Amino acid sequence: MRFFAYPAILYLLVLFYLPLFIVILYSFGFPNFSLNYYFEVMRPIYFKVLLNSIILAAITTVFCFLLAYPVAYYIALRAQRWKNLLLVLVILPFWISFLLRTYAIMSILTPLGLMFTFTAVVIGMVYDYLPFMLLPIYASLEKITRSQIDASYTLGASPWKTFLKITFPQSMPGVVAGVILVFIPALGEFVVPSMLGGVYTTIGTITWDLFLRYHDWWRGSAISIIYIAAVLAALAIYMKKAGRIEI
Amino acid sequence: MMRLFVFIVFVFLYAPIAFVIASSFMEDGSFTLKWFENVFEDKKIATAFKNSLSLAILSTLISVILGTTAAYAYLKTNMRFESIFYTPIVIPEITEALSLLLFYNFTSFPLGFYSVLLGHIAFNVAFVFVIVKARLAGYERSIEEASLTLGANEIQTFLRVTLPLAMPGVIAASLIAFILSWDNFIKTIFTTGPGFQTLPMLIWSQAVRGSINPTLNALTSLLLLISMILAYLYVRISAKRK
Repeated sequence: MRFFAYPAILYLLVLFYLPLFIVILYSFGFPNFSLNYYFEVMRPIYFKVLLNSIILAAITTVFCFLLAYPVAYYIALRAQRWKNLLLVLVILPFWISFLLRTYAIMSILTPLGLMFTFTAVVIGMVYDYLPFMLLPIYASLEKITRSQIDASYTLGASPWKTFLKITFPQSMPGVVAGVILVFIPALGEFVVPSMLGGVYTTIGTITWDLFLRYHDWWRGSAISIIYIAAVLAALAIYMKKAGRIEI
Repeated sequence: MMRLFVFIVFVFLYAPIAFVIASSFMEDGSFTLKWFENVFEDKKIATAFKNSLSLAILSTLISVILGTTAAYAYLKTNMRFESIFYTPIVIPEITEALSLLLFYNFTSFPLGFYSVLLGHIAFNVAFVFVIVKARLAGYERSIEEASLTLGANEIQTFLRVTLPLAMPGVIAASLIAFILSWDNFIKTIFTTGPGFQTLPMLIWSQAVRGSINPTLNALTSLLLLISMILAYLYVRISAKRK
């Protein structure tokens, strides 16, 4: 029975893990060896790009959270007969590519005269990433048993206190998952800033330029390795807390 | 208060999509199919459509076969290899895309249809594995044991017993694999070569210059509608197991 697994594993080893290894090679100056590319991508011009990306990703994450939490709460605990419909409406955009959805938001921003501004980039980012915050929060709120909340009310706690002491703490795994699912890919986001932002540079746009415009595979690889390291660190923290990944 | 807020968020989520679709049926405020006629008459779009479709169909077929058999092996043996399949899902797409580009460059693999296809299969395999595994995890093992006791060999049991049981999971996984390949942009553009263009690349090349026009709206609407219908089917199929 074991041989059933080999083709898929072999496939990923050759077309996923080996390519990642080649990125590591290039980041160290392949075919020579040097650490220079890592030092170079720490220089101020690149550092500014990194800062831009962190600011944009942080703003996106905060807005996504503020919009997603009440909606997830409503669907999980209040919606009743609308629950399934609303859930479907959240899941559909989750699976649709950012290119199409960014085009959609672009078609509204253009007549509003908002294109090529930082505001446009933020609106586009929040629009694209919202389902990635909403679904994990919904999943953790959904698991809360109604009786716990009722017990809190019976014992005299106010709705607000019940929320802070019972509901919110139990939804924390979902919030952490949502923050990771939004913040990490948002750091490297390419489609939104380049379609809506004009000249706003992020890790995503600089990676694109280094690879596809300048064919500078060495600096591009060094930046990517730093980015992957950040991603893996965030995931390790999350896995330690939540134990597994769900989709 | 809360209802109003929820309502506004859903308007935010769907207004842009509704707007693109509506505006691709409009000319000076009245209904028209002209923009869709433009889409269907355009030779460049027709070629890109054919490319996108063959990519999606082939990558779905191959990744479903690879991913389903791996999910089956995972549940039947004590091999704990599932993290191999999680990494491609959690790694940012742009990282995967550029690593494939470097790999093709390193091995002098010619860029074009096959380089794109091989890349699409890589992430689809991971998604198929996770979705089918989740589905197979919940079924009754004794049916398989009965099949083996009654003299069927392992391959017959897999084809006649396990596969039909796993079918809803396999269909759900196929739909997701198809969508992810059909509207993929980042991995495609990093691994494509001269002369091979897909529909998302076509949309990108015009939209990035800020030039949106009704014909492009119509094309995007078509892609959006196809993806949304497939995603809806996926939701319906995967909801049935509960």
